[in-house]
Amino acid sequence: MKQATLIFILTATLYSCGQTQEKKADYPLQVGDIDFNSKIDNPNFKLCDETRVLQYYNFGKGLQYKGEKITITEYFKNGLKTKEKIGETGVLTIRFIVNCNGQTGRFRIQGMDNDYNEKKFGDNLANQVLTMTSKLDGWIAGELEGKKYDYYQYLAIRFENGKLIEIMP
Amino acid sequence: MRRFLLALMLVPIHAFPQYNCNIFKMNNDQPCYEACLAATEAEPGQGTRSSQMLFDKAIELCPTFDYPYFEKSVPYLKRGDFVTWKKLIDKAVELNPKGHLGYRGWCKFQFVRDYKGAIRDFEKLDSLLDYDIGYSMNGNYQLNIVKGLCYGAIGQKTKAIEIIEGQLTEKGYSAMTYDYLHLGVLKMQTGDTNGAIDYLKKSISFNDYLAEPYYYLGLIYKKLNRTIDFKENMEKARTYYLKGYKMFDPYTHQVDKVYLTDIEKELKSGE
Repeated sequence: MKQATLIFILTATLYSCGQTQEKKADYPLQVGDIDFNSKIDNPNFKLCDETRVLQYYNFGKGLQYKGEKITITEYFKNGLKTKEKIGETGVLTIRFIVNCNGQTGRFRIQGMDNDYNEKKFGDNLANQVLTMTSKLDGWIAGELEGKKYDYYQYLAIRFENGKLIEIMP
Repeated sequence: MRRFLLALMLVPIHAFPQYNCNIFKMNNDQPCYEACLAATEAEPGQGTRSSQMLFDKAIELCPTFDYPYFEKSVPYLKRGDFVTWKKLIDKAVELNPKGHLGYRGWCKFQFVRDYKGAIRDFEKLDSLLDYDIGYSMNGNYQLNIVKGLCYGAIGQKTKAIEIIEGQLTEKGYSAMTYDYLHLGVLKMQTGDTNGAIDYLKKSISFNDYLAEPYYYLGLIYKKLNRTIDFKENMEKARTYYLKGYKMFDPYTHQVDKVYLTDIEKELKSGE
């Protein structure tokens, strides 16, 4: 009887542990975490501390780029080769990591229509935005009290019929 | 010390006060009381796994409680996932429109530049209240001023001016940091040069810690061929900017904000 009770308790404990772990696995450590994907990510892009990637706003300096955000806006306005295209309307968001050396990697893209539903933008536009974002090389590493940190950054570009309207944040 | 400062930087900014969970207890609503405790426990770790799990637990225990939906949505907004943010904040608005419409409208304006969506939220909120519609999450704006800025951004500049000037004459309203600056810019954009100069100067008298009014005054004087005034104001804009006297928000850039490049480009054009 004692043995049966012990087995029951162990089984129940293991089962509940499994459930908790499974549930935990549904949640990233932090909202928006981007794990390395060997199929799409550059293996040479390294983080200083994989366990502590901050958010760009944690440094209290806004977006940190050489020449400030206007440089990014001008870069896209001058460099994007887009034509007016009905339906290419909404927001294209590229999220990525700036590492402690100011290099970038792990780019992820999300399209959204004006009703906040996920949408797929045309490959031409999406690929251009992705490639241009990956070529931005003026990012400033996040720093707090003399120590440099990796951080997540995003660029959200609003388009109206293929025309760039505004870049956030 | 470093750890302490880092911890401070990571603490999320909350403008919503913590809930008084005892309200549920007094109503003998045990599931919602427990949900409230879970949600308030989750709040400090914004965006973390444990925090998001606790908000979900709160939602499961008390699905009619708006607060965990609202709090759970915040990290998605700040991290650029507007699709997920919107689903969650819509739920909070559905459960408590008076409590969240103003916030949702503000975020649509400040983070997503969804001006028409923001106007809809502010106007809906106004129709539900017989008192002031409140202030932006960062405390910089009364929401009617934001509504005016939204109209300005969609090209309805005259309406924007009417709304903002109307708010400034509201009984009991005290102007906020950027109100006169925005009015000055709107006046400039509608061709009312004298009105623009008046408001930009008013902005400086009200708060002389911004490069922006000097920059816009410089632009106006340039157009009026008042070269000395143009240079004087642009130089001042640059000095102020370099001192850190400028519009700033840690999350997003603000409407009418200028950058050092803008100022230097103008100075160069006047050489």
